[in-house]
Amino acid sequence: MPRSEPSSGGPRAPVRMTLFVAGGEENSRRAQQNLARLCEQELNDNYTLDVVDVLEDFQAATRQNVMVTPTLIVAEPPPKVTILGDLRDMERLRAAFGLD
Amino acid sequence: MSQDPTARPNSAPPERPRKALSKMPTGIAGLDDVLHGGLPEARTTLVAGGPGSGKTVLVLETLYRAAQAGRPGVFVSFEETADALHANALAMGWDLEVLQQQQRLALLDPKLDWHAVRAGEFSLRGLLAVLGGHAERLGARLFVIDAVDVLMRLFTDEGRRDDELYGLHAWLVEHGFTAVLTAKSRPGGQLQPAYSFLDFLADCVLTLDQRIVEQVSTRRLRVVKYRGSGYVSNECPFVIAHDGLVLMPVASAELVQKPYGPMGSSGHASLDAMLGGGYRRGSSVLIAGPTGCGKTTIACTFARGAAERGERTLYVSFEEAEDRLLSAMLSPGLDLAPFVEAGVLEFLTAMPESMGVEEHLLRLLCAIARFRPAHVVVDAISAVNRMGSEAAAFDFLVRLLSACREQGITCFYVNQTPRGSAADHITGMGISSLIDTALVLDYRWEGNQLERSLVVLKSRGVCHSNRAHRLTISDSGIGLAPLAMSSRQEET
Repeated sequence: MPRSEPSSGGPRAPVRMTLFVAGGEENSRRAQQNLARLCEQELNDNYTLDVVDVLEDFQAATRQNVMVTPTLIVAEPPPKVTILGDLRDMERLRAAFGLD
Repeated sequence: MSQDPTARPNSAPPERPRKALSKMPTGIAGLDDVLHGGLPEARTTLVAGGPGSGKTVLVLETLYRAAQAGRPGVFVSFEETADALHANALAMGWDLEVLQQQQRLALLDPKLDWHAVRAGEFSLRGLLAVLGGHAERLGARLFVIDAVDVLMRLFTDEGRRDDELYGLHAWLVEHGFTAVLTAKSRPGGQLQPAYSFLDFLADCVLTLDQRIVEQVSTRRLRVVKYRGSGYVSNECPFVIAHDGLVLMPVASAELVQKPYGPMGSSGHASLDAMLGGGYRRGSSVLIAGPTGCGKTTIACTFARGAAERGERTLYVSFEEAEDRLLSAMLSPGLDLAPFVEAGVLEFLTAMPESMGVEEHLLRLLCAIARFRPAHVVVDAISAVNRMGSEAAAFDFLVRLLSACREQGITCFYVNQTPRGSAADHITGMGISSLIDTALVLDYRWEGNQLERSLVVLKSRGVCHSNRAHRLTISDSGIGLAPLAMSSRQEET
């Protein structure tokens, strides 16, 4: 499978992120697909991803101030970035990850 | 989705019997009267008002009182932090921490990340999950969402915003939650156009505002709509008192005419005889006359008599400090201090100029609510004019009288009038029609002797003496004797 290299070049810090979804709702499903594509194409294996279903764990959502789903919180590398939506806007998503 | 109970209740045929709406009392003094029982249960209420109009205090108090009464609730604040809310509540004497520990209350202050990147479609499902989770955890049926307008800024597209508001409302209704949402309105009282949809969704809409009239700031509350329920549609002044919101009773038009209670002694046998037995409990009594003719002595004689019967009297003094009044009354033999110590007599003193009419009235109504007196003496109503305008003073007296009547409290108004004119001045404050019994005092000089007189000018529904009596004040109290019969003095 072809792999594109990170455009900025050089070794990148590992990415740690949490995706908050609401069960199997459409937006949440799409967000997972879109994120999977990004991970595969851009992040190689240099990341950890937790997926939290707010319907199962509302306390995690409370702690992280998650009001809308889907919400992706990229905790590392700093600064922390919050990305709202089903991640269909690949350009914005890449920009948020610093992948210009 | 289940049937939406808010769907056009007004379009139901009028002959269809209307099911009584369940209500949740707010526990806020006066507000439940205005709402004919409280907020609609399992429905959505909108509280709209400008910045600083008291929205947050109102909804916080509603939640606090409900939690205290064993109805847990969830407060979601999009404007103030939980710490600030805790501190503000504590200043009112509401300990939210304890209620949180008792699992009766959840206070959430989600910090919305305004720098969040928007990369596609999203919805409020996260919030609903959080709300639902906490509601389940506490068994809560009540939600307060403070500043829903701030939350909705997450949605930049107007159509999406309306969809999400509708979704939030539908979710609340579907689960049978009682919800109170606040939103900011513009100075005219209109909601921001972007949120007028909220106005439409809510079953009950309250607006709050704050304005400055005659240099005194007044807060007002109005019920704009209440589907399926009656309500007081007038604007109601309210104040944020030291322990919560207090809505004022509304003006003379709504003066409650409660039947009077039994006859109670005036504290003096001869005066009782003149009055045809005494004063009716819950009636209003005017004691008018010039300075130094014994008005305060007569009022204090009554207060002592009531205290001896174990009935509480609240004595509002605008003229003298408590200790000065107590020592002055020792001269006509009225030692009131033991009754103050025993808690059956309480003095409330204030300079009329020290605050506005609303604050005076509030302080008085709070004292009445706390002390629960059977009788209230206001000494003297002539001082009330010094609180501001004459119209404001009249408003003060009528609203106080109205509150006293509602609670069956006997009200004594002492009025200072120029010498020789008391009878004419009875109408001076414009309250004569509200007065049930009027005592008029006066004095004249007999040689170098001061002669005081007292006449019962009117006493509704009671056969009273029409004769002027000579009033004497000695170290054993007051004495009364019919004027024509000169020398003989009666004493008790």
